[in-house]
Amino acid sequence: MNRRTSVLIFAVNIFVFSCLTAISVFAQDKNDGKALYEDKCAHCHGVKGDGNSEAAANLLPRPRDFTKGLYKIRSTSSGQLPTDKDLSNIITNGMPGSSMPAWKNILSADQIDQLVTYIKIFHDGFKEASPKEIDLADRIPYSEESVAKGRQIYKNIECNACHGEVGRGDGTSAPDLKDEWGYRVWPADMTQPWTFRGGSTPEDIFKRFIGGIAGSPMPSFIGGFRVGLTEAEDARVTELDDKDEMTEAEEAEYETLDAKVVEYEDLMLKIEEGEALTPEEQKKLDDAMKPISVKFWHLANYAKSLGPEEKPAPAVGDKVLRSQYRLGDLPGMADEAWNEIEIASYFPLVGQVIIDPRQFNPSIDSVTAKSFYNDNEIAFLFTWNDRTNSLPQEEENTGEILEDALSIQFPVKVPKGPTDPKPYFIWGGRRAVNLWYWKMSEPDKVTEMNAKGINKQEIQPAESQALESEWIYDNGQYRLWVKRSLKTEDKKDLQFEAGVFIPIAFSAWDGSNGDIKTKRAISTWYTFVLEPVPSKKRFVYPPLVALISVGLLFALKGAVQKKENENIT
Amino acid sequence: MKAQLVSIITLLIVCCYVANVGAAGKDEAVEPLVFPASYKVVTVSNGGTITGVVKFDGDMPVMKKLEITKDVNVCGKTDKFDESLVVGEGNALKNTVVYLLDISEGANFATKGADGKKKQYGVDQNGCRFEPHVQIIPVGERLTMINSDGIMHNIHIFSKKGYNKAQTKARKRLRVPAAKKTEGPISIKCDVHGWMAGWIAYFNHPYYSVTNEKGEFKIENVPAGTYKLGYWHEACGTNKVEPASVTVVAGDAVTQDFTLTLKK
Repeated sequence: MNRRTSVLIFAVNIFVFSCLTAISVFAQDKNDGKALYEDKCAHCHGVKGDGNSEAAANLLPRPRDFTKGLYKIRSTSSGQLPTDKDLSNIITNGMPGSSMPAWKNILSADQIDQLVTYIKIFHDGFKEASPKEIDLADRIPYSEESVAKGRQIYKNIECNACHGEVGRGDGTSAPDLKDEWGYRVWPADMTQPWTFRGGSTPEDIFKRFIGGIAGSPMPSFIGGFRVGLTEAEDARVTELDDKDEMTEAEEAEYETLDAKVVEYEDLMLKIEEGEALTPEEQKKLDDAMKPISVKFWHLANYAKSLGPEEKPAPAVGDKVLRSQYRLGDLPGMADEAWNEIEIASYFPLVGQVIIDPRQFNPSIDSVTAKSFYNDNEIAFLFTWNDRTNSLPQEEENTGEILEDALSIQFPVKVPKGPTDPKPYFIWGGRRAVNLWYWKMSEPDKVTEMNAKGINKQEIQPAESQALESEWIYDNGQYRLWVKRSLKTEDKKDLQFEAGVFIPIAFSAWDGSNGDIKTKRAISTWYTFVLEPVPSKKRFVYPPLVALISVGLLFALKGAVQKKENENIT
Repeated sequence: MKAQLVSIITLLIVCCYVANVGAAGKDEAVEPLVFPASYKVVTVSNGGTITGVVKFDGDMPVMKKLEITKDVNVCGKTDKFDESLVVGEGNALKNTVVYLLDISEGANFATKGADGKKKQYGVDQNGCRFEPHVQIIPVGERLTMINSDGIMHNIHIFSKKGYNKAQTKARKRLRVPAAKKTEGPISIKCDVHGWMAGWIAYFNHPYYSVTNEKGEFKIENVPAGTYKLGYWHEACGTNKVEPASVTVVAGDAVTQDFTLTLKK
């Protein structure tokens, strides 16, 4: 290499370096976002923003692929990109029920803005887009009347096809749903609004009806109604639609009404195709959309009515499961007495990710429980929502049986105090657990088992099986009723004693979610207590004390009188 | 030593490649159709015709009968089959798109039918099945979805922009916004009835044909010249890398048959 070439190479290097520096200075904004993105987001969303990463394989829902421009949670209409605020909201608050965490306590608002700017680079559409927010004005307030109207609309437009008759996400179409990437997805369980990805205020729900959830099976319902018709005209079209044959006059009437709908549809199509409407056209459309909006508000209010106001608090502290004492027989599964306990204790579940095979995407959110006991027996009523009543079926690769199941776990020996250790929370270890195991292949019994580890369980002998049970699967919810004597002869059974805090834990399997053996949803240890009966001794001691006091008083009085008498004499 | 190094590097490269392919995930990308970058509308007089038959080479497939699990009273009236590979008598392959890859000048889309009315590009949902299975729509025209079933279907179009709207029983017709650019093939589905599957594509020229049950196609009014003739079939793939070459003579017909095998 001669000297001239070296100098040339040096010069070129300097030039390239200065160009790069210049670019990086100009692109400062973008680069800050880039560094942040690569530090915080790329682990799941991939360096290229395409949702491909090491972590993605274990995540469901999958991390968003930013290159497609399909964003699920938007405040914009169907087919549109999200607003910057939509993106920053998701980063700030996360997506409940998915792996997307809330970043509000980790990143500053400025940093979140930088990320928004950066992720928009992955999709060209953002360059020209100026997405318009869905109008949330004229909200219909929540009322019983509005809920009733919403319920009717829910049926009419067939929300139940996916979300089920009472909204538990158990519709007939639910088991087959996939997203645009071919991954299994579930319709929202409307009775568990804390699992909604995009929030559960009526406004959030309203936006989902209009905008749909892009990339998922949830469509926009904006085209679901006949825009531009009065209620009477709308009813007339329904009536004509239902006719097998129309007369000529009826056909003409139908055409006229249909032409109106087409006229408004044209305006909506124009907007979607990126054409601007004249102010007159816009006003005409807005006016015609008002009654449609009202319908969506009723629907949002109905959706809201299906779930509790707030996510139930887990069964700890003052919320622990308290078995209530009852005189006489304990109520059976269908007995109304269960309603006396207003709120069932809530036991949240998580995927079992400690022992292989793991469940990273559990489909069962929680188990709830109520309990009664009397002098001899204890009864429990457990419920858990499962979108599918999975009948036993063979797993494709292993041939093992996948099925729905539940296990209720107690320690064999109740710890003597808070410092006395409990058995390992997943089916025990050195310390044994007592399991009550129910499964769909033998639904009419609950089996008593013991375990000293996840693969070390044994079924108790037939003579030790002493659980009574009943079950039902109803609209996406299992209910299991179990009854046992408080005390048994069996050394491997937990013995129930009033006033003692007893650990309890759960495992639940959803066969159609691939749950089998260790692949399941589990809870940690919770505690419950048989609420002590106010002691019967209260009927004995106080009167006794009173009696003695009175007796003593009389004795004293007698003694004093005697003395006085003596003094007189 | 040097050879060892080379083999290690080769191995590394192969590993990276394999890992990369593995990471591509579940997405089975659909091979896009080939469209001319620009297309100029001219008056075509005395154009030629390209005809032919597409046949399937392989064991006669048995069409899988679909299990109808919902809305049985509507969807289950007639048997439904998986239509991803429809092979008729004489191994005729239905639903193959045959089209010119490199035509840059030609006739306008006939947006009006023989009756003078505006042509509709429709897909009917009848008995929970899309008819036709493959529909081509000109760029700038709207697709009309027809709901003959009186139940809710959702129109889920897997296009770049994305489209998913519910067509409730109140909407016998629902029009999909026109596309601005060529795109296709695009999968169209109904999630409520998961077995419903079809395809659409947006063309910027009218030189295409979809084979009928006899496997026949016919492309008319083609300006004289030599063209690349391609095909696309959802189960058999495409020949776009090595398309057939056809020479069209003014006012004359030219024949080009294809024999397709299943995609590997």
